[in-house]
Formats: sequence, C-alpha cells, structure tokens
Amino acid sequence: MASSKNKLSGFLKWIASGWMLILFFVLFFLFWEYSIPLFDVPRYILPAPTEIVQKGSADIDKLIYYTGVTGLETIIGYAIAIILGLGFGIAISFSSILRRTLYPFFVSIEMTPKIAFAPLFISWFGFGLLPKVIIVVLVCFFPIVLNAILAFNSLSNELTLFHRSTGANPLKTFFKIRLPAAMPQCFVGFKYAAINATVGATIAEFIGSDQGLGFYISIVTGNMRPDLAFAGIFFLTLLGLSLFGFVTLMEKILIPWHISMKRINK
Amino acid sequence: MDQFIKINSLKKVFGEGEDEVHAFGPVDISIKSGEFVSVLGPSGCGKSTLMLMMAGLLEPTSGEIYFDDKSVSGPKNDIGIMFQDNTLVPWRTVEGNIKLQLELRNLDISKYKDKIFNILKSVKLEDFAKRYPSELSGGMQQRAAFCQAMIHEPNTILLDEPLGKLDAMTREKIRSDIQNLWMINKPTVIFVTHSIEEAVQLSSRVILISPRPGIVDREINIDLPYPRDLSVKRSNKFFEYVHEIQEVFHEYGVI
Repeated sequence: MASSKNKLSGFLKWIASGWMLILFFVLFFLFWEYSIPLFDVPRYILPAPTEIVQKGSADIDKLIYYTGVTGLETIIGYAIAIILGLGFGIAISFSSILRRTLYPFFVSIEMTPKIAFAPLFISWFGFGLLPKVIIVVLVCFFPIVLNAILAFNSLSNELTLFHRSTGANPLKTFFKIRLPAAMPQCFVGFKYAAINATVGATIAEFIGSDQGLGFYISIVTGNMRPDLAFAGIFFLTLLGLSLFGFVTLMEKILIPWHISMKRINK
Repeated sequence: MDQFIKINSLKKVFGEGEDEVHAFGPVDISIKSGEFVSVLGPSGCGKSTLMLMMAGLLEPTSGEIYFDDKSVSGPKNDIGIMFQDNTLVPWRTVEGNIKLQLELRNLDISKYKDKIFNILKSVKLEDFAKRYPSELSGGMQQRAAFCQAMIHEPNTILLDEPLGKLDAMTREKIRSDIQNLWMINKPTVIFVTHSIEEAVQLSSRVILISPRPGIVDREINIDLPYPRDLSVKRSNKFFEYVHEIQEVFHEYGVI
C-alpha cells in the first residue's frame, strides 16, 4: 500500500518536473500538424504526424520485422565492440609495447570516418548480416577502446601507492581497485558508442541490403513516400533510445556510487 | 628503548643532467620504537619524499633505511600509510574500505569484525560504517582513512599531511583522535606536516627540515605530558616550543 502510494507520488513528481518538456513536445507536434495545411505543404514533401501514424500502422508488420533486423545488427556489433574495446583497452594500458604501437595506430584510425569503409565491406562480404555487424563494430570500437585506455591509465597516485604498499598481487589489485576505478570513464565510451551504433547500422543498410530499417527508408523515399520514411525514422529512434537507455540503466546498476549518477538523481 | 628505524645519509635527486633537482638530503635520522615523530618543514622541502622512501615506494638516490636492522628495498608491507588525499574508494562503504586493506593483504576478515567496530568507535564513526565516503564530511573521511590505515595493526604508521585539506576546527578535533589512537598501542608514527602547533601538540620529537634541498636542521624533544589536551596547549611550555620552532623557520625566511 505504502509502496504503491510512493510509486504514484513518484510518478506525479516526474510529471511535475517534466511538464515543460511534455508541453514542448505537444506544441511541437501541434505546430507540425497544423502548419502543413496552413502553408500548403505538399504531402510528398512533408506529411502531417497524424498521416505518418495512419500510414505507418498500415505497414506495421514490416516495420516491426525490419526493426528486429536492424536491432540485431546493432546489438551484435555493439556487444562485439565492447568485448574487443575493453580487451584491447586493458591490454594497451598494461603493455608498454602495445602503448607505443597499437595505441598511436588506433588514434590515427580514429581520425578516418569509419563509415567510408562501408562500401568496401559490402563488396567483400555481400548483402547479409556480416558486413553490417562489422561496420557497427568499427563505428563503436574506437570510442570504447580510447576511453578504456584513458580509464585504466588514470588511477590516482594515492591509490597506486596504497595498493603497492599492501603487496597485493596484480590480479587482486585489478579486480578490487583498477577495474572499478576505471568503470565511470569506460561508460563514457559505452554511451558514445551506443549513440553511434544505430547510425552505423542504418548507413550500412543504405549502401547495400535487402532488409532492415535503413533499407526500408531508402526504398520508400525513392517511392515518394516520406510518410513511411518518417515511420521508419520513428522506429530507428526507438531503437537508439532503447540501446542508450539500456546502457544508462547498466551504469546505474553497476556503478551507483559514481558521482555523476548522484547529481542526476538529486 | 631500542633504535627501531635508522636512516643513513639518505639522499634523493630527481632528473638527470641539467634538469637535475636535488630534492632531499643527505640526512641521518634514528627513531625509537613507539616514538611519535613529526617531520616539519616548508612545502617543497622533500618531507613527503622522505616518507615515500621510508615506505619503500620511492628509491633513494643514495643512502640506506633500516627497520630493525633490515634494509628497505621495495615496498614495505608491514606499515600503515596515509596521504593528504585519502585512499578511500567511492564504490565501497566505510566498513568496506577498511576491509579492502585486509583483503589486499590476504588477511582473514572474520577475525577482524570486532576490531573494525572498535576502531570505528574510537573515532566516533561506528554509526557510519554502512555509509559511502561521498556521504561523509571531509573530516569524517579522514577519520575513516585512519581506520583503514591502522586496521591491520602495523607497528609503524606513516602519515603524509593527513589533515592538510581540513578546516582549522576539524583539524583540532582529529588531532586529539590521532593522539588517542596512538596512545592505545603506541605504534611508531612518522607524521609529516607543515603546521608547527600540530607538530608540537602530537609529537614526542620534532624533526625540522630546511628548505630545498631538505636536510635535518634541528631535532627538538617535546617534553610535555600526554594526553596533550587544551590545558597543555595553554601552558607556557607549549608556547615556548612553538616560538622556538617559529624562530628557526624565520631564520630560513620561510615565515
């Protein structure tokens, strides 16, 4: 009883603090809806939100299926990027040889727009899942690895002296001090990569594919159906938000002690 | 009492060639077991460098340090150490941070349950065992850090300006906490500070370090009764010691 009351008051609080944002969204869509007849915008240029919902729901089966396809590419690629990024990040942080070879190599590749490799991967690996996953990995890997290197190299001087004075072995020091201390900065990389992941998957599908939301948007745009393109964009946004929301949730669960979390909660 | 720590012509030089900075020494110091020794000097005189070398965390350029006739080579594991910036980790509670010291040393935590409670109680933190460092004030954090540095009952404790970042009132309070903790087991304490009053109030002996390159200029035995509470601090003898040290630093041009 008490807890449901708390939940309700929590919801009301959320409404109370978020009402400006909600009002902004409502006004934004109202403006969009009524400016179309007002300025006589042709529907093949920009459709009204109600029309997007209407036409989109007629095509909902396809949209949901394609969201699954793009979602799978994104999630597999993102997961591989995290494993590789953390692995290389830790290896580079602890090996002076790798720090002098791989690290500058990664920094210089970070400067190239990774998406430029997309046509090459499509020509090498065909139209299937693999080239999209590779492109998502490529787009996500660099922010993760570079932030991980930064994270594992910035242990405070005092903590370094402290663990050395205890005589603890490197493995113990790693799991009890270095790894948890590095997590906040690692999550900076994870979040940045989460934003990029759907971008990578979508562009890869634009370039060469026969399914997925990127494919859908490029086809319906070619058919002069911006209403369906917007419906596709809506689902892509949902996908991106879900991934980002999941990473933020993991951050809250894994490092609830982190100072930036506390500021947001207050 | 026996001589416990012996430091022979210890010297530290940073860098090489033109960038060479003669940071410290050469100094000779000997410390008896159970002494509370303050190392007092202006900033940059190398007193923290001395402490790191004693802990085996920094290699001297020349000279030797002996603990009980054993030469220091590499980090010493049987001491307690504390810095101006504390070594509490934000992802563990106060209690968890104290246990971290034990876990890193492979000590059996179950045997320390009472000890953890008692040491927290001695600095009045027993109600904050389950709190995170970020929920504590700066003074409480430093008191928790003391408990962390002393839980494994080291017979030597190195303190590098542990009160440096606290406000005057909190410093005053924690000083007496340190004194009380020291009086229980009488470990050997090396206390690095730049506060003259702090050194006189706490120490059985004050070692004065000159500005760079730091060398031991004078050693002053503080012959005042423990515990040194307010009445001792108001005594003429206390002020005489403080003035004597002030004179020395005035000669250096530090104050």
